Amino acid sequence: MSLLTSLARLRALEEGIAQPVATVRHCHLSARPMVFVPLKLSGEAAAPLAAMLGTERERPRLLVVTQPRNRDLRFAWAAELAGVLLPYIEGFLADTETVERRNADPYERAMDAPQLIVPNQGGVAFTRLLGRSTRFRRPDGPYPVPESVPVLGRWLTYFGERAAYPGSALMLAATEELGRHWASGQSGLEDANLAALLAWITTGPSEEAEDPLVWPPAGPATDPGFDAEVLAPAIESGKPERVAEALRTQLEPTWRLMWQAIDLLAGLPEGASAAQRWEQDRGSFSGMATHLAEGAPPQARRDGAVAAAARLARMERAQAAYDVQRAYDDPLVMAEYRLTGEAFAGEVVETDPDNTEGEGRSRKLRPLVVIKTDDPVRLPPGATLGTPQRRAQGAELVSAGEGLVTVKITKGMGRGRTAAPGAVPEVGERVCYTSLTDDFQGSPQLPEAEATPWTHGGPPQDYVPDDEDAQEEWS
Amino acid sequence: MSDRLDDLERRIDELRAGVRKAMRHRDPATARTLRAELRSAERAWDALVSGEQPEVKAEPPRLVTVREQVHQGLRLLGAAAQPRLIVAVSDAFFGGTIRSAQLTSLRRDEERSFRSSPHGRPYYLCAALTDRLSAARGLLTLSTWPLERRVVGPLSPRVDFLTCAIAVAEHGEEHGAGDGRAARLLVRMARNIPGATDGTFGPPVPGQVAAAARAELRVHAERDTRDRAELAERATAQLGDTARLFGAATLMTIKKENAK
Amino acid sequence: MPSERLEAGRPAPRGEAMSTQHRLDALRGTTPPRPHDARAIAALAANPGCSRRALMDGAGVDKDAAARHLGFPAPFGQSPFAITRGNVFEALVKADGCAELLRMLREALGLPVAEVAYHDVENVGAHLRHAHTRALIDRAATGGQDAGTLYDHPLLTLEIAGHTAYLEPDVVAFQLGGRFHIVEIKSFAVIDGQADPAAVAAAARQAAVYVLALRTLLEELGHDPLQVSHDVVLVCPENFANRPVATLVDVRRQLAVLRRQLTRMTSLDRLLAALPEDVTFDLRPDEDGRPTRPVAELADALRGATARYAPDCLSTCDLCFFCRDEARQEGACDLLGRQVRDELGGVASVAEALGLADGTRDPAVGQEEIARLLRNAERLRRECLT
Repeated sequence: MSLLTSLARLRALEEGIAQPVATVRHCHLSARPMVFVPLKLSGEAAAPLAAMLGTERERPRLLVVTQPRNRDLRFAWAAELAGVLLPYIEGFLADTETVERRNADPYERAMDAPQLIVPNQGGVAFTRLLGRSTRFRRPDGPYPVPESVPVLGRWLTYFGERAAYPGSALMLAATEELGRHWASGQSGLEDANLAALLAWITTGPSEEAEDPLVWPPAGPATDPGFDAEVLAPAIESGKPERVAEALRTQLEPTWRLMWQAIDLLAGLPEGASAAQRWEQDRGSFSGMATHLAEGAPPQARRDGAVAAAARLARMERAQAAYDVQRAYDDPLVMAEYRLTGEAFAGEVVETDPDNTEGEGRSRKLRPLVVIKTDDPVRLPPGATLGTPQRRAQGAELVSAGEGLVTVKITKGMGRGRTAAPGAVPEVGERVCYTSLTDDFQGSPQLPEAEATPWTHGGPPQDYVPDDEDAQEEWS
Repeated sequence: MSDRLDDLERRIDELRAGVRKAMRHRDPATARTLRAELRSAERAWDALVSGEQPEVKAEPPRLVTVREQVHQGLRLLGAAAQPRLIVAVSDAFFGGTIRSAQLTSLRRDEERSFRSSPHGRPYYLCAALTDRLSAARGLLTLSTWPLERRVVGPLSPRVDFLTCAIAVAEHGEEHGAGDGRAARLLVRMARNIPGATDGTFGPPVPGQVAAAARAELRVHAERDTRDRAELAERATAQLGDTARLFGAATLMTIKKENAK
Repeated sequence: MPSERLEAGRPAPRGEAMSTQHRLDALRGTTPPRPHDARAIAALAANPGCSRRALMDGAGVDKDAAARHLGFPAPFGQSPFAITRGNVFEALVKADGCAELLRMLREALGLPVAEVAYHDVENVGAHLRHAHTRALIDRAATGGQDAGTLYDHPLLTLEIAGHTAYLEPDVVAFQLGGRFHIVEIKSFAVIDGQADPAAVAAAARQAAVYVLALRTLLEELGHDPLQVSHDVVLVCPENFANRPVATLVDVRRQLAVLRRQLTRMTSLDRLLAALPEDVTFDLRPDEDGRPTRPVAELADALRGATARYAPDCLSTCDLCFFCRDEARQEGACDLLGRQVRDELGGVASVAEALGLADGTRDPAVGQEEIARLLRNAERLRRECLT
């Protein structure tokens, strides 16, 4: 969190309503998202209790394990879940585009991809565990499960992992996304409560939002009072319909909140780079589908050393890119960097579009721009700059002081003797320059998996799920 | 009908909220009243939704009594055991129908019966005796066993476990494992005995389990036998008939008796 | 890491302790004292700067009852399913003479096969359990041949601000190579070698309380307290099955925090001195135990002791909603969490911070830098949002 967000929180507290911390939406929002609200049995790692899910707000599906301690019913529930999720996921595979690649074969990328939206981080974690607990099962052998269950497990594992990938929108947690766009007048801890956060954004803080009788927790944990007073007697009664009814009362309010959250996010215009990240998501999704179709084994329980390091490096790069893209897309995010002196904005007061450097053959066009700014610039002369107004352009800081900054354009103004029209900002134009650039750092040099040093456990063995994986109790 | 269901559901929701509010305000009396109303509303809802009058589910006829099933289990095990294990054995080998919860009051019932007519039954389900000669928590034994088998020294819980494992392994070997239940029980026991499994996931070999248990048993046997003999001797010398079966009263219960 | 001597857990010198004790008793009034359990003692370390909590815990005030009476009942409870699950798992670990536990200790710590002696301390009456625990531990520490390996349901004590807290661990102290180890059984799962870090941390804090209590006992008995290992054995279900798995957890850090906090508890007289003489947190329960103290009066009395509210309190302290409400009324930046508070460095109230941002308030000495930042931030927000 930055001082800018802290200030927004203070303002929210004073005004009694959440304050925007973004002016555009930084996540892609699917036209047909799958809203997924899972509940688990208290005290258990991943024992499903119920889920409400669907792509249409008027038609939620309720899936219930009416006797949560019965493992057969749990797997039957997982099969039911697969019956809803797999057709949704696989429905995106038919429509594809061919993507050409340098030094590699072209591949087919889905034109659109599935999007799972859960209420909170707990929902993401539960999805991942649900994936972990089902992906190794087998349709044959001593504890057979329906064929769809391990397939579901691999998809849920994939979505769970993707949710941790910065900027990916394949699986979103509603509280996270709302918190990225609005600052409430409460702590981050309290923002994890979907009802409370939405109340701050829409009507102002509400005592009721924290009352589980009015707004049941958005899962995956249930309200202990509900467990004791309602759920336990219902399970005891042995009447499945009573259990289902009880759980419906806990899920329906959250279901409504989820769609409210989606409406709020949809009300913001999409940021310019969101489509680019979604394209990566689509590529990743297609890759996973191919992987599955080729009969690759389920994801390993744990990454080997090289795979883990590679994954970490990938995530760090994605995080850096995501941060930069958001700043370029959104002046309010860029303001954070202006506050710390890594960016500045202001009005162009003077230009020298025909300025050149060097002599003879090495003579180069280097237009100069002078900007008047109120921002505290903390960039040294020579710093490489980029600008959201002209993304292809590169620039260099020449000098800064007394509220005036001189910038030299070094890239992206055309190849002619004079700058291309529009390449050099006009006097009076508002511009922003920043040292943040979206140049990806090269991948770190990591050995191939087969060359993992002994200090890191040596080359990993190929992960072959064994009988024990398949027969692991789910109790 | 759905109108009535809607009404009932609304009523049920109100009552649930009321109960929990009352609980939160520590008002048990109100909570109780509301809860009673809640139960009746829920019953009415159940009845309406399933279209039948609520009725108490009849227990399936029990061919063998709980008492007899526990006796069967203990006889097979041949050592003091916890209800959990007795239930598992009964389930694995005798198609048992008992649940652990049914065993909690058993010892007290047996004691009452013994006091009203001593030795009136061929056997009693009774206590294991601690080094203080009081009843050990959560262990059952048979009155027909010698006292040495019914007392617990410091090593006895382990010795009894190994003894039980041998019994389960051998019984399974002789009578066939039947369905998976006996095999699963043996797996659970075997994994806690060094050398009983060869580390693979396959089912343990009963002979190997029994041999491994015997090997560990030999480590403890001498000291355990000595401890037990000493305890049995003390029990014989100090306890009357009832206490010998059901345990000496602790200081606390004696105090309570005297206070009456 | 300083030497592991015991500094806390012993009563303060006599005379001083008595007057402090009288004040604390008066603070609690006619309300029966609430005994501390390990979880409560461990939670003391969660917010060491809070005087209100230190005083209430020191006096043994029932914070849960106080919060209810004030109209701010605590937001947490435990589901019966979670309780049942915990009990079932513990029973499984301890079943058949701790067969599962012995397997894990043999595998993880190389416990010799001969070491199987088991003592169920709970076999004696409740009033004798502590004495029996002492006797058994004394015998074991002395090195008696037949001293046991496992002690189930021991009853330990720890001195908290003059009160004896009885600790009934669901744990087994076991002896290996002349050292005692605390075993803590928890029913949260370890999945592919990973567990919820918050749950592990809480378990470690709780286990540290038992380690300290057992060390205190050994010291009282004239043995070396370091015979109790700072490595505790954490037993949890593995993956999605019920099969238990053991992990060694080093609790030295938790021990250090706990000792520091208990030392503070013994210096409550300093906190008491800041309170008016006649102040009391008494709930004045009637015959049925229902509080009769006027709510406003109790609230006033409590406000006399300074709280340090932080959002973390919401998961650890019964009084959290009361203190949060107070922080809201005061417009304290603490409401927004430590991160915001730290970022505002020294600006404590919302109005003050916003005044600096709007330029309607002049920065006090030392606030110039944060004031400049806030004004800049405000300018940027306005520029971007209009």
